Amino acid sequence: MKILVAVKQVAALDDDFEIRADEKDVDEDFLIYDLNEWDDFSLEEAMKIKEASTSEVEVVVVSIGPDRVDESLRKCLAKGADRAIRVWDDSMEGSDAVVVGRILAAVVKKEAPDMVFAGVQSSDQAYAATGISTAAYLDWPHAAVVADLQYNPGANSAVIRRELEGGLLQEVEIACPAVLTIQLGINKPRYASLRGIKQAAAKPIDALSLADIGLSPAEVGANSSLSRIRRMYVPTKGRAQMIEGTIAEQASRLIQIIKEFKGEAA
Amino acid sequence: MPWSTSLLELTLTMPDIPLTSKGLVAEALASGDMHAAAAVYDIASPAERKRLEAIMFCQRRDMLMFARWEHTPPAVLEALAKSSDAAVQIRVDTNPNASEQALVSSYALQQDSALRTLIARHAHTPPMLLQHLVENCNDIATLRLLSRNPSANASILGQLASRFPLLLDKDIASHPAATGEVLETLYLRGDIHLQAAVLAHAHFPKRLIERAAKSDDVLLHRPLSRHSKLAPALLILLANSPDAAVRAGIAAHPLASPETIQRLCADASALVRRAIAARDDIDLPQAEVLAEDTDHWVRQWLARNPYCPRALLQALAADTSEEVRRAVARNPRCTIHLLEQLAQDSSAWVRAAVAYQPNATSCLMVQLAKDTDIDVLSGVANNQHTPPVVLRQLATSKEPDIRRGVILNRAAQRQQLLLLLDDPYYLHRVLLASSLKLKDSDKWPLHSDPDPMVRFAVWRWFANSLRQSH
Repeated sequence: MKILVAVKQVAALDDDFEIRADEKDVDEDFLIYDLNEWDDFSLEEAMKIKEASTSEVEVVVVSIGPDRVDESLRKCLAKGADRAIRVWDDSMEGSDAVVVGRILAAVVKKEAPDMVFAGVQSSDQAYAATGISTAAYLDWPHAAVVADLQYNPGANSAVIRRELEGGLLQEVEIACPAVLTIQLGINKPRYASLRGIKQAAAKPIDALSLADIGLSPAEVGANSSLSRIRRMYVPTKGRAQMIEGTIAEQASRLIQIIKEFKGEAA
Repeated sequence: MPWSTSLLELTLTMPDIPLTSKGLVAEALASGDMHAAAAVYDIASPAERKRLEAIMFCQRRDMLMFARWEHTPPAVLEALAKSSDAAVQIRVDTNPNASEQALVSSYALQQDSALRTLIARHAHTPPMLLQHLVENCNDIATLRLLSRNPSANASILGQLASRFPLLLDKDIASHPAATGEVLETLYLRGDIHLQAAVLAHAHFPKRLIERAAKSDDVLLHRPLSRHSKLAPALLILLANSPDAAVRAGIAAHPLASPETIQRLCADASALVRRAIAARDDIDLPQAEVLAEDTDHWVRQWLARNPYCPRALLQALAADTSEEVRRAVARNPRCTIHLLEQLAQDSSAWVRAAVAYQPNATSCLMVQLAKDTDIDVLSGVANNQHTPPVVLRQLATSKEPDIRRGVILNRAAQRQQLLLLLDDPYYLHRVLLASSLKLKDSDKWPLHSDPDPMVRFAVWRWFANSLRQSH
C-alpha cells in the first residue's frame, strides 16, 4: 500500500523586499524558502495512517522544483517519509497550477499509489488548484479542504469531513484511489527528531526528468500553461490613516469614527 | 531514549573543545558555517574577521538575512553598516541590535531620507547624532519619530518644543525625559488632550495641580485622580466625580482615606470596586463585601491580591467561577491546605495554577504528576519542588510544552537536562545551549546541530564564555 504526498517548497517574503527587474516576481534574494505549511499536515496524515496500519504502508513525497527543493524533501524524510522524488527540468519554469497538476499526475501514474494527498493551497501562490488539477488529469475522485479522514489502508473507500463556510462540516464517502487536499488543523504535525534529520541527510532523493515521467518540454512550462503572470506590484496605499495625538485624543477620535460608521450622531 | 545514551557516550569521548578565542575562531572558520562565523565574529582579530566576513557575506541574500536577523551580534551589524547596498542599510538601521557605532557608520555613508527616519527612531542612536538631526532636519515626520525616541534627552526635547511649537508637543508630552519646565510650557499652550497627556506625566509640576483641578473636564480629572501628589481635599472632591474612571483612579490611589475607600466599596461601577479589590491595604470588612460581589472580576482581583485576608481565600476557593478559584491558587498567601484542596478541583485550569504555585510541596507535585492535562503537567515540570525522579519522567513526555517545563525549571539538574539534548524541538536545544547546569562538554556536540539557530546559540555561548574569561 502506498500514499503519495505532493509537497511544495514555498517562498516567504521578508518585511521589506524588492521586485525583480521584469516585474513578474519578487527578487529571489529577499525570499526565504520553507516547506508549505499545509504540506506538513498532509505528510502527518500519511504518517498517522502508516503508523496505525498493521500492513506495510509506504509514504512517498514528491515535489517539483530545482536543487534547493531537496532541503524541503529532506525535512519530509526526517519526519518519516520512506522515499522522496524531485522532478525538474528547466523547461518547467513558469508552469501554472494546471501544468503542475499534469506533471504530478504523470508521477502518480508511474508510482501507482493507493491515495494522493496535497495541501489545500500553497502559502505563496494560493491558487488551491494543484491537487484538484492532478485529480482531473488522473480522472480520479477528489475532495478539497479535508478536515478529518477515516481510511483503512487498502480499503476501496474513505470517509472524509470537508470544511465549509460558516463552520459547517460535510461528511463524504469517497471511492479510492482518490486525491485529497488536506486542511490545516487536521492533525498536529510532528517535529523531526535529530536522529531522523541525520538519517535523512544520507537518504537519496530520486531526481526525475521529464523523460522519466513520459512528458515532453512542449507539455510543460509557461507556454503550456493556461495562465501567465503579467505583473507583480505593490498596490498604492488605500485610505488608511494613522490616528495621531495623545492617548485620550486617539481614543476620542476612535469613538468618533465608530459612531460615524454606525450612523450615530457625534 | 537510546539516542541520549549515545550522545552521552559521545560527550565522554569528545575531541578537545577550543579553550581560546583563537582556537574557537579557527574551528568556526574550518566549519565554513555562516552562523558559527557570526557567533564568534566579535572575539576574532581583524584578519580573522575578514575571513569570517567572506563566509557570512559571500551572497547578497545572506547579507540581507544577517542585517534583518534579531540575533545578529552588534559587531556583525557594524560590519554590514559599511555596505553600499541600500537594502542592507535599511535592515541594519531597523535591527534592534544595531549599535551606536553601526548607526553612526550608516548615517555617515548615506544620508537618504528613509534611512535618516530609521536612524531618528532607533533606540540605540546616540544623543550626539539625534542632536545633529534636530539641528539639520526639518522633516516633521522624522522629527516626530525622534521626539518619541527613548534616547532623546531633556535638552533635545526642549529644543524640539522650542523650534516647532505645537507640532510635536503631544509626542514630547509622553516622553519620560521631558522636564517639568518643558511640560509646563506645553500645558499652558496646549488643548485639553495635550493638557491631559501632560498631567499624566511623572514630572508634571505640582504647582499646576490646583489649576487643573479647577477644570470641570473629565479628560483632565482622569489623569489627575492617579497623580501621586494630590491633596486630601482634592481626593475627596474627585471621589465624588460622576465619571467612573475618575472614581476608579481614587479607588486605586495610595493616599485615599479609609472612609473614602469604604464608601467606594459600594460604588455602582465594577471598575471602581475592582480597583479596591487590588489594594494592598484592603481590610477584612472591605474584603468581605467584595468577596460577595456580583462581578467575577472583582472577586478574581481580590483572590489574586496577596494582602487578601486568609480567611476569605478559603471562601473564594469555593467560588463558582473557575477564574476566581484559579486566582486563589496563584495567590502567594494561599495555604498548603487550600492548595491540596484546589489540586482536586474539577477544572484543569485551577489544578494547573496549583502546579505552577511556588509554595506547593513536593508531595503535591507527585500527586499532580499523575494528572493527564498538559497545562497541569507543564506546571509540575516547571515547579522547583518537583522531585528529580518526576522531572526525569516528564523530560521524556511526548508533549513539547511539558519537556520545555523541565528545561525552564531552575531546580532541574544535569541528569534530567541531558535527556533533552536531542529534543526534536529546536528551541529546546537553543535553550539548553545557555544552561548553566550542563557542562561545556555536554553542549559542544550541538555546534554541528542541523538547525542553524541551535548552532548559533552554542557557538555564541562558547564565544561569550571566552570573552568573559578574558
